[in-house]
Amino acid sequence: MAEWPMRQTASGVTVVSPGGRLNMVAAPDLREQLRGLVQSGSARVVVDLSDVESIDSSGLGALISGLKAARNAGGDLRIVAPNAQVTAVLELTNLNRVLNPRESAEKAFDDPD
Amino acid sequence: MTRIEPGICETVTGPGTLDEIHVALDEFWLAHPQVPERIRLGTAIAVAEIAANIIEHAGRGKSIGLRMEVKALADVVEVIFVDDGWEAQLDLTVARLPGDMAERSRGLALAQSVLGELSYSRSGGTNRWTLISERFH
Repeated sequence: MAEWPMRQTASGVTVVSPGGRLNMVAAPDLREQLRGLVQSGSARVVVDLSDVESIDSSGLGALISGLKAARNAGGDLRIVAPNAQVTAVLELTNLNRVLNPRESAEKAFDDPD
Repeated sequence: MTRIEPGICETVTGPGTLDEIHVALDEFWLAHPQVPERIRLGTAIAVAEIAANIIEHAGRGKSIGLRMEVKALADVVEVIFVDDGWEAQLDLTVARLPGDMAERSRGLALAQSVLGELSYSRSGGTNRWTLISERFH
């Protein structure tokens, strides 16, 4: 399974940085990585989208899967740095309501929701 | 894969098909600079969704023959996909976005939301998807 780079912020939030096109080819691995993270105890997750070129409905599904897993574990999944294509897809699907882009990975959990 | 001219992609589906389609579409945009960015963005979103749908559902896990042709008409972009896979079981008149927490079933509604027209037909053992962009102006 391909695994995207990860790091931890000073406040203990795990940041995952996928890249390229988040489509039906890449989405299953991202979904597994996010769920694995939550299962191993990291329920506060940021997905840094700055290297993501484009996203499709499969990629959105992986993010929603990770979001649900994180919330079920008492945490949350937040996103940062979507490009214009990703922003458009989030808006067209109304998912900007639940995946509202944050200012930075470091500040992504500063707000309660 | 065969690309006869910009915007035409003939392939047998596999793990690299979505990349091939993306490259073919990029080549088409280079050859047709008059197409506005808004139309490119929407068309690319819809093409990605329909291509993924064909690969997953018409192929049902197996490789199928797939041809994409993109054309710039007077004030719209037209994309036609033809494949020799299984018939699509769907009703485009009822494609709606699912709830926010759904992990699937957004593709067709997303494609429709960025297009002027999306249609599907089955004839002589082949599937044909026709995507018409929104108008340029």
